[in-house]
Amino acid sequence: MSSLNSLIPTGTRSVLSICRPPLRQGSMAAPILFSYQQVRGKASSNPQARGKKSKEKATTKKKKGPREFQQVDLTQMEQFALCDAMRYLRAFEVGREPTTSKYEIHIRLKSKRDGPVIRNMLRFPHSVQTESRICVICPPGSRIEKEARAAGAVLVGEQEVFDAVKEGRIEFDRCICHPDSLDAMNKAGLGRILGPRGLMPSVKTGTVVEDVANRVEMLRGGTVYRERDAVIRLPIGQLAFSPEQLRDNLRATIDQVKKDAAGLNDRITKEIYEVVLSSTNGPGFSLNGEFTSESSPETAALSGV
Amino acid sequence: MPNLWKRIHKLRALLNVRVGTGAAILPSAATATKEFPAITRLHLTYARKIYGGHQGARHFWRNCFPRLKYHNPAVQMTVKQTADQEGPAALTIYFSENISNAASLSATTEIKDQHAPTPSATEKTAVMNLKDLTYTDIWQKVKLATGARDLVATPEEQAELQKIEQMRQNSEADRARVASIRQAKKDQELMLQQARGEVEKLKQL
Repeated sequence: MSSLNSLIPTGTRSVLSICRPPLRQGSMAAPILFSYQQVRGKASSNPQARGKKSKEKATTKKKKGPREFQQVDLTQMEQFALCDAMRYLRAFEVGREPTTSKYEIHIRLKSKRDGPVIRNMLRFPHSVQTESRICVICPPGSRIEKEARAAGAVLVGEQEVFDAVKEGRIEFDRCICHPDSLDAMNKAGLGRILGPRGLMPSVKTGTVVEDVANRVEMLRGGTVYRERDAVIRLPIGQLAFSPEQLRDNLRATIDQVKKDAAGLNDRITKEIYEVVLSSTNGPGFSLNGEFTSESSPETAALSGV
Repeated sequence: MPNLWKRIHKLRALLNVRVGTGAAILPSAATATKEFPAITRLHLTYARKIYGGHQGARHFWRNCFPRLKYHNPAVQMTVKQTADQEGPAALTIYFSENISNAASLSATTEIKDQHAPTPSATEKTAVMNLKDLTYTDIWQKVKLATGARDLVATPEEQAELQKIEQMRQNSEADRARVASIRQAKKDQELMLQQARGEVEKLKQL
């Protein structure tokens, strides 16, 4: 280091040291040299070095944006009753694959830019996805196995699951493991097969749990949602749902979000600002909270394909 | 969430669903007459690409189906897009009880649409050949066959349509204006860069 430094003029040397201080910690002399150069750098009257420093300071002292997410003024926005929005969305989705088209909800929150975000799981009164098949790895013949089966798991057991997976018969979309079977599962070497498919249970993803039955219940009809940039977005219904079914799901969602917001922290207040209903191929309709309006058709006409 | 004005502009598409070709009310159980019985379902089948006369059928789905669905929410409408270019481009109309006279005249019996859902015991179907027809022609044909009542745009809707048309024209002029400003700026920068390059060259010499 010293040989290199001796070749270049003192001013640039100090600049260089600013650029890459921690790289040279291999040699014992480095920290001493480093502090020495820092002093030199401060004292130097080299205009170039000074210019660089002031620039650095300027970048760190960036102007902070607003503390809260900006809220739009909704007075200009046309708002719709649920049935009217559904009528339009069903027109936009006509002729699309009925299994892929979904109603979606976007919940705009009044919230600060920093601070905790809402993250949770929700179980709808009317399931949005077609039921997923769940596999549970737990000691066979135990109480846990009975519970898992009662909760609706398709494949339960230890060795039989491992054999099935190794033969390539993966007839499930989710996999949960009980901590008692974790060692057995790791020994069986399923990671190669299940890992790439994202099915391998692990503590990190929350798929190794004690309370298997509850988890199976959640996974079967549950939807994970989280707040991003003060908006929570989640699918809320199949296109074939009737307005009543959609209303039930919507109510459940909003209640849950309100509960989440209330449970966050005493000092943090989050409120729902706007609720927008859209669909896979349709535009977003700001909802006004009404179920029907005078011009909306009968609710029976708004279900089915 | 996107900017509010973007969202408002996007909702202009709603006007397009309410008015235009295909904005009509099909006879329902309440408005059915002897001549034109109620329509219960519609099914459209066409191929993915336009050659072989499938263009009109797809445009009919794109343009008219949303409007029909909006004004007749209770009528089930299904669409099947096939990969078979030689296959049929056909619209199956499901009448309750019996087929209207007009439909029986324009319907064909040669086409067998295997994608259409099977009619229930009380339904009668009429299949229309849509090959080599434009979507407006198809709509005229469907209107005649079903006795659909066209909806006329209200004065407010017409005013809004005019406003949107005016905005479209303005936007063309604006686009040209902004493009010229940007081009001028780019030219200026290019010129400056070239000038700087020449100075560098002189220095090197």
